[in-house]
Amino acid sequence: MIRYLGLRMLSAVPTLIGVVAVTFFLLRALPGDPAVILLGEFATEESLAALRAELNLDQPVLVQFSEYVRGILTLDFGNSAITRQPVMDVLRPAILPSLYLALAGVGFATIVGVPAGITSAVRQGTWIDYTVMLLTIGGISFPVFWVGLVAIVTISANFAYFPATGSGVVGDVASTVRHLILPAIVLGFAVAAYIARLTRSAMLEVMRQSYVIAAESLGIPRRKVILRFALRNALAPILGVIGVSFAWAIGNAILVEFVFARSGLGSLILRAVSSRDYQLVQAGVLILAISVVIVNTLLDMVNSVVDPRVRASTMGGR
Amino acid sequence: MRRTSTTRWLLPLGVAIALVASACGGGGDAEPSSTEAPAAPESSATEDSPAAGGTLRVRIGGDVGGFDPASIFQIENQSVAGHVFNGLLRYNEATNEIVPDLATEMPTVSGDGLTYTFTLRQGVQFHAGYGELKASDVVFHYERIKNPDTGSRYAAQVAIIDSVSAVDDYTVVFNLASPNANFLHTVAAFNQGWIVSEAAVQDRGDDFNLNPVGTGPFEIGEYIPGESMSLTAFEDYFGGRASLDEVVFVVIPDESTAEVALVNGEIDAIFALSSPDVVDRLRGNGDVTVHQRTASFVNNLVLNISKPPLDDVRVRQAIAHGINRQAIQDDYFRGLRGSADSWLTEAFQEYTDDLRTYPYDPERARALLEEAGAVGFTFEITGPALVPYSEQVVFVKNDLDAIGINTVLNIVERADYGALRASGNIMASVTSVTGPPNPENPLVTLFASASAPPGMNHGSYSAVDDLLAEARAISDPAARAAAYGEIQRVVAEDIPAIPMYSYQLATATRAGVEGYVQNSYYTFYAYPITLR
Repeated sequence: MIRYLGLRMLSAVPTLIGVVAVTFFLLRALPGDPAVILLGEFATEESLAALRAELNLDQPVLVQFSEYVRGILTLDFGNSAITRQPVMDVLRPAILPSLYLALAGVGFATIVGVPAGITSAVRQGTWIDYTVMLLTIGGISFPVFWVGLVAIVTISANFAYFPATGSGVVGDVASTVRHLILPAIVLGFAVAAYIARLTRSAMLEVMRQSYVIAAESLGIPRRKVILRFALRNALAPILGVIGVSFAWAIGNAILVEFVFARSGLGSLILRAVSSRDYQLVQAGVLILAISVVIVNTLLDMVNSVVDPRVRASTMGGR
Repeated sequence: MRRTSTTRWLLPLGVAIALVASACGGGGDAEPSSTEAPAAPESSATEDSPAAGGTLRVRIGGDVGGFDPASIFQIENQSVAGHVFNGLLRYNEATNEIVPDLATEMPTVSGDGLTYTFTLRQGVQFHAGYGELKASDVVFHYERIKNPDTGSRYAAQVAIIDSVSAVDDYTVVFNLASPNANFLHTVAAFNQGWIVSEAAVQDRGDDFNLNPVGTGPFEIGEYIPGESMSLTAFEDYFGGRASLDEVVFVVIPDESTAEVALVNGEIDAIFALSSPDVVDRLRGNGDVTVHQRTASFVNNLVLNISKPPLDDVRVRQAIAHGINRQAIQDDYFRGLRGSADSWLTEAFQEYTDDLRTYPYDPERARALLEEAGAVGFTFEITGPALVPYSEQVVFVKNDLDAIGINTVLNIVERADYGALRASGNIMASVTSVTGPPNPENPLVTLFASASAPPGMNHGSYSAVDDLLAEARAISDPAARAAAYGEIQRVVAEDIPAIPMYSYQLATATRAGVEGYVQNSYYTFYAYPITLR
């Protein structure tokens, strides 16, 4: 197991290097001079030159890159050009809120979406099926910021228990949870739609298989057939979409963060791109890439636990 | 088998109903009407203390980035800095009159206008135990901004200072390179005018940016990135300890969310409101007071007079007559913008309304175009991808198309826009010059040939260069007003930039917030506020 994890982490390193390199060069290909953006148009030539030297921008791009890589190897990710703080100090307070929102949102989406999808598949063609499908169309089509605003205006405005803004007091569990409820539901509504639809398709696919029909005709209780035979085999793509949604939600819940005034990695990175705060963008993208790698690894591990065929080929085989 | 003939059409019908329902409910405004009933504010969050004390929570639309006067910009940062620092002089919040702050009185100016002598108050303390303010701090502060190694964005503003020196502990002398009465604006408490503690800057280095030390009524407190910035009252403030105990700036990017938070009692004030819907609803709420005043800036359509046919004054006048600016102010901005015929507003001491104006007159516009032989010319307007600028140009295009100008809109990302605007190659830009009420701010930036390029004087308009140089040397207020009035008149005849509207500042405060006075430059100042 340790060996497996170690090998997985090692094989992720080339991916991370690639992500870092692409981000680095793409940023410098963007139009707009960071020095001018940071100092304004009325800055003197000397000030601009001094800032460019300080940010290493007057060097050739490859030299800048090698400086940056050298920094990373000593765990120095640079300073934010705007606040002058080390970028990790800027990003660190945003990691937990993003993580909580992603967990709560995708968790809610799973709890609601998977049973909805199963019920829909099992009762295919009935009122229940159509209702669920209708709701999922809503979840996919309604813009998440609109859903968020509606939630704030109808629920927060009338029930002060559900705050409209912020992530709560750091360290206070009750406060954090209270501030998560509405944003998680709003985010989860959209994700649940995808999960429900995918679950439904996967279940329908599996329920048509001969072994399911055989299990039914053998007299095994319906419930057991659905959960133990059908669902277990349909789980692979479902887990896939859950994992991908989670990885996505960590860095892309920007609209929900905006509407609910929560800090988060996605919002920070977006702001950093607008102000051409290169170091902050690079570090933020690196964190997101690492989180995706971790989520994918966890996903594979869960898959192998659930599905013996996968277990044999990934871990036994190596 | 499971799909009967009746159920076959049920799903599409249901979908159609859902789409129609969401279009009716969600079209246009995102907010349903349930907010009309004024909710009784939950009092759990507000302090029910007597006249003194309390925490004031103020909404800001974006996170703060730093408070070092050498590099500060954006209203969120300036609002915080206004509480932490003082300047030699300051603006009266209501009238923009320049009055003494850290100085005991207005400076003595030498006969040739080149030497300014300030006498400092004694016993003014810096925060965090950094001792008494001395003339050496003032000298250090301005030399630091002038120093190219600091990389200050305000180095150009203080370039007029040849030298600054401390005669004794409480006397500072500035020697200017040329006479400029607007130097009083340069040392007023805003941006480069905010005085820092020399010892603290040397102690804290880069950390000073987020942990500044000044002499102001509030000290810097806890910063939670992306969420809030707290300030605590400074007990030894020379002007008397503030009534409030704490001011917290809370980041809420979306204005509708901020509105709900205000009505809910999660926050106490929202400044720099920009959504007419939000302002209208807040006006209708009995528990909220909406303050409004004219800002000290104007939005302009800046024309490049070096690009034909814009070099012909008749074409520029045609464009000015051809845009229905009143309709844009009334219908699009719905009260959050006012009329502007000058590049200064009533918030400036040097404002005048005695100049040539360009009321909406499409026939006149068309006649001028024909006279100039420019009907049908291609006019490209470059604007930033930022609401409302990206949207207001659509109205401009409509109006100009109607009078026979082939208008093309080029909306680009903000960083890109800055570069394009500074290049001198575009035909027209959408530009406001923001900042404190120094008349040189807009007039020099837009109309002095030294500003271009890089700069906003796209076509190197130079007709008022001499007048600007004369006006800045005048210190008598009446003569100043006359001189700047003359400049506005000349520019109005040449119309190289068309004033589109003046900004109306709107701030909403909850019941219980008293003593608030709105300034004209978009920042929030809480020192005079008491919480009932």
